[in-house]
Amino acid sequence: MADRSVLFAPQPTGVSRWLPWAIVSVVMLLVLIFPFIVDRPRFWLPNIGVQSIWLGIIAMSLVFLNRYVGLLSLAQVTVAGISAYGVGYMVVTLQQDFVLGALVGIVVGTFSAFVIALIAARTKAIYFLMITLAIGQVFFSWASQAIEVTGASRGLAPIRRPDWGVIDLNDITTFYYFAVAVGVFCYVLCRYVAGSTFGLALEGVRDSPERMKALGYNVNAYRVAATTFAGFIASIGGILIVLDRAQVDPNVVSLGATLDVLVVAVIGGIGSLGGVFVGALVLTLLSNFAQGLTEQYMTLTGIVFILILLFAPAGLAGIGQQVKRLISRRRRSATDSDESSQDPSAAQPTEHAITEGNKR
Amino acid sequence: MDQILLITLNGLTLAGVYFLVASGLTLIFGLMRVITMAHGTSYLLGGYVGYVIARDTGNWFLGVLGAAIVIGLVGLFIHQVLIRRFQDDDMRVALITLGVSLIGTDLMLATFGGTATQVPIDPELQVASVSLPIVGSYPVLRLLVLLIAVVIGFALALMISRTRFGSVVRAGVDDSPMTGATGINVRVVFAIVFVVGSALAAIAGVIGGTLFPLLPGQDGVYLLYSLVVVIVGGMGSIPGAAIGAVLVGLVSQFGIVYAPTYALVLTFALMVVVLAIRPQGLLGRTV
Repeated sequence: MADRSVLFAPQPTGVSRWLPWAIVSVVMLLVLIFPFIVDRPRFWLPNIGVQSIWLGIIAMSLVFLNRYVGLLSLAQVTVAGISAYGVGYMVVTLQQDFVLGALVGIVVGTFSAFVIALIAARTKAIYFLMITLAIGQVFFSWASQAIEVTGASRGLAPIRRPDWGVIDLNDITTFYYFAVAVGVFCYVLCRYVAGSTFGLALEGVRDSPERMKALGYNVNAYRVAATTFAGFIASIGGILIVLDRAQVDPNVVSLGATLDVLVVAVIGGIGSLGGVFVGALVLTLLSNFAQGLTEQYMTLTGIVFILILLFAPAGLAGIGQQVKRLISRRRRSATDSDESSQDPSAAQPTEHAITEGNKR
Repeated sequence: MDQILLITLNGLTLAGVYFLVASGLTLIFGLMRVITMAHGTSYLLGGYVGYVIARDTGNWFLGVLGAAIVIGLVGLFIHQVLIRRFQDDDMRVALITLGVSLIGTDLMLATFGGTATQVPIDPELQVASVSLPIVGSYPVLRLLVLLIAVVIGFALALMISRTRFGSVVRAGVDDSPMTGATGINVRVVFAIVFVVGSALAAIAGVIGGTLFPLLPGQDGVYLLYSLVVVIVGGMGSIPGAAIGAVLVGLVSQFGIVYAPTYALVLTFALMVVVLAIRPQGLLGRTV
């Protein structure tokens, strides 16, 4: 219903045409001057800035899969972790250069996503979720035990940030801008792929696999390809994790990390590629500042997570839409006063909004 | 030879615990087509509640009963308040219950601490052992666990296939709007099944917590094992859960003895093989 109304919507005019661009410019400007407006750059840049960006990138790969393929994968953190372990193994164990390590990491991560897709892509929605969760946990258990490969719970360290003369990632401001550039690159790439014919075919596979099959598309191959692409994005996020932490250990792929990324995706809006960075910012702010308020920061995160799922399933990115719908509903019920404002169907928009969010 | 038999017995008793946890999950999925990610939380919280009650009253059975009641009520709350409205949206239910498990993990760590605890039981029973042919002496407690799992398993299977309530549940599985139209209150049936499923996890928690120590993080481990068991056995099938639990129990025990690092990876390989041959699980029906 929602997407059909979009078809007949009038072309954006006036305010609604330039508003998105204005928001994008303001946000980009804020991101660029961020290092100069915060009081303690040494705290803010790594703990809030860079961390938000890699959380956002991994969450974006999850959102991409959910929005364009309709698959909710809980193995994205695992893919990022495998990529990070790839870097760690190359740099620490084999004493190789970081750039080579990063390339190997991305290849290994993307390949692991391909393998995961081969195992899981035959299954549907909830099975896919369960199987990817199981895969993630199994990798976690292996990573925390296989001492000869992953260094078990000690992990692989130290992985020094490279210094390429002009670009020295050891300088925190440079590193922050580097991370921003990587984040923008991933976002643009996701948007580009989503807008390509491949992306359109993916949406077809999501909405009606039977019809796409009848049209001669290999539905399974499309799912595998999309999962592999999302794995590539997550692997890039994994490289940033290594750069940020200077090491890899099993915590990177733990259940907690998986939930963190899921929380980020849900807070930002599980149907919105850009919203993930807002979600990531909210989570990093919560984790850094809520610890002063309460011991149970995880509980607080969990409560926020559940509240958003209950009341604003399209996430922060969708809240504008939701408020708009609420206001128009109010106006309508104010004009025809016969109708009770306690209309039970007022809760309707939240129903199925995750699937609806996919379509948006 | 006797070592292989011993490992097999260990695997079977472990399978008893896995079956108890997974049967609740598969029961809930079978009727409601939703998966509750808070199932591991029900297991661990059940174990802790049983531990507190058994410690204070000195009665192990009271511990089991109390845990089942408390976790059943928690399950009722989760079902009524959080997920009833979204019953048709399985994805959202999975995410909401995942949020519940996040909160549960944090609060349990804060309340019961990070150290291992074990549900107390009659010390005589704790050390008692019987001598079995070939294997030699074997702890009675483990055999009792196996017995309890078998009894509960048969009771569940009989309840579903033989009683009136069971036929209502089966009708609800096949076509819940039609079942509702015949005058059965399907919502109440849903709620009962959710409560029973959660209570089963709690019972498993107390039993598991008697055999093995209760630790933070086990909520995730048991959620994982019960997911693997129901995926292998087929979602929604009690006999399937039994077969899945036996396979997973045996594979993980043999794995621990012969390839310790890869025990969980082997279990997972089992799941992959089953999925490759039968995506719906060994006894699952295609949905």
